[in-house]
Amino acid sequence: MDLAIETRDLTKTYKAKKGKALNVVNQVNLQVEPGEIFGFLGPNGAGKTTTIKILLGIIYQTSGQARVLGKEPTDTDAHRLLSYLPEKPYYYEHMTGLEIMRFYASLFGIKDDAQCRSLLERVNLANDMNRPLSEYSKGMQQRVGLAQSLINDPKLLFLDEPTGGLDPIAHIEIRDLILQFRDEGKTVFISSHELSDVERICDRVAIINKGEVVQQGPLETLLVGGRIEVTANQCPDDLVEKLRGGERIVSAHLGRLIVDIPDSEEPNAIVDAIRAAGGTIVSVIPRRKRLEDLFLELVTQDDAAKGRQKRSMLEKSPPDQASIVEAEAAVEEGA
Amino acid sequence: MNVVLSIAKTTTGEAIRRRVLMVILLIGLVLLVVAPGMEALSARQSTTVLRSLTLGVIQLTSAVIAIVLTVYLIPNEIERRTIYTILSKPVQRWQFLVGKYLGAVAALALMVAMMTATMLIVFSVVGKLTLGSDMVDLAKVPLMFFVQMSLLAAVAVFFSTFVSPIVNFFLSGGVYLLGSVFSSLFEVLSNNKELPAMVQAGARLVHSIVPNFQMFNVQNSAINAGPVIQNEQLYYLGSFGYALVYVMILLIAGILVFDRREV
Repeated sequence: MDLAIETRDLTKTYKAKKGKALNVVNQVNLQVEPGEIFGFLGPNGAGKTTTIKILLGIIYQTSGQARVLGKEPTDTDAHRLLSYLPEKPYYYEHMTGLEIMRFYASLFGIKDDAQCRSLLERVNLANDMNRPLSEYSKGMQQRVGLAQSLINDPKLLFLDEPTGGLDPIAHIEIRDLILQFRDEGKTVFISSHELSDVERICDRVAIINKGEVVQQGPLETLLVGGRIEVTANQCPDDLVEKLRGGERIVSAHLGRLIVDIPDSEEPNAIVDAIRAAGGTIVSVIPRRKRLEDLFLELVTQDDAAKGRQKRSMLEKSPPDQASIVEAEAAVEEGA
Repeated sequence: MNVVLSIAKTTTGEAIRRRVLMVILLIGLVLLVVAPGMEALSARQSTTVLRSLTLGVIQLTSAVIAIVLTVYLIPNEIERRTIYTILSKPVQRWQFLVGKYLGAVAALALMVAMMTATMLIVFSVVGKLTLGSDMVDLAKVPLMFFVQMSLLAAVAVFFSTFVSPIVNFFLSGGVYLLGSVFSSLFEVLSNNKELPAMVQAGARLVHSIVPNFQMFNVQNSAINAGPVIQNEQLYYLGSFGYALVYVMILLIAGILVFDRREV
């Protein structure tokens, strides 16, 4: 069976002025299995939307390969089987919800009005389908967007920030809909900043920073290695230095001590040391590793590594200020 | 073809609701209604002045509408990201571009038709028009304006595939001026044997590349009693054919650019 999405060394280079090249997407390798929810995460300007645009055939890669449902991204046969919900989409506001559904249906040659109505009912817009979109709230517009993205009963959905800016109720509704898509056997490729959502619904994730994938894999593999937090009161000041070392994070204030250790380390030794020093244990709390922790850790490490690399290059051949401004402008444009 | 028509229909619906276009159209309609009052300012024969004035208003208003309507046609779709939801469907880029163009032309047709109807009603009310052939002759002029503006819209759609709306506004306006007001000048320059060969060749190049918008200006026969177009049917058919060929060339060129453009 073909992979839903496959990229090999996918690279998108924009030319800044003076012929300088800037890799907005750099040798990205992704493999998305059919029927999974795949999270594509990264800070602003990391290259997420550029990658999605390449996968949709809207822009073209500079080098490398991309296959979507086993076909070229520009192949309209592939487009019959996929759909896309962009971030903050705009729909023709003079049209009603039903009219916009009919419009998108017509692009597939679908004339089934009942299908348009049933999709609007599915996203809870049954009572509003004859109102113009200009009267819709942001959440309602997002739900119309989801409905239009289902018109062709797609095998693969690209969702770019599907819950961005929505109120908590709309947020949960959209999240539940995405889980339903997986139950129906659809593949969902989500680009999002909502890490808690991604952690709840995604099977696998890839984290991209400055155009490069820094980590990818199943969440249960990536999120191994939690922490344990030991809190105690009435601890002497000299205990802090005794407990420091390894991967421990120790902080103390007015006799209150917090020791944060990796879950691979036995907490009993810490507890015993605190008691021996006359301290009182308040709590011992195991804390599972969160996607947010992993994301921050990877992006911070990658930024630091790239910063060191850049500094060493600058020391060898410092660029002029104009080149820096141009390169930054090209990144903005590419993002 | 259904895809093209769906995009065209949506584009027309969007265009006729654009406030800036409605304001331009409204100004044109108001000028047409008050035109009979303005003829008193002229010493010339009143019918000639009134026809000249109203047809001038229709032509100018149509030209501004055609340019304003089309320069934002593609950039708006990109800026609002509507284009992404459309091009990620099984829609070819040529279908999108042709659909947008046809939708714009349909909106233009509606607006020119409204101005023509207003002009005919005003003329009938002030007794400057007799029903029958006079009415048909007068209506032919805005029809040719419509063909002229459809060609101008194709010029703007072509430019909109690779330049910004502001640059496009001036480029399309410039091409319109070159092909209408300065068309005769370039023809004269290209045939003037006393000029250096380079100047003649340059003028000939401009004259042959830039569409001849002047050929759609048939208002003289409707304004003045004298001039008559010889073999009228052939002239109109030839003009339509000329516009059609140019529109096709411009759309094909636009498609070639747009096909590789990263949106």
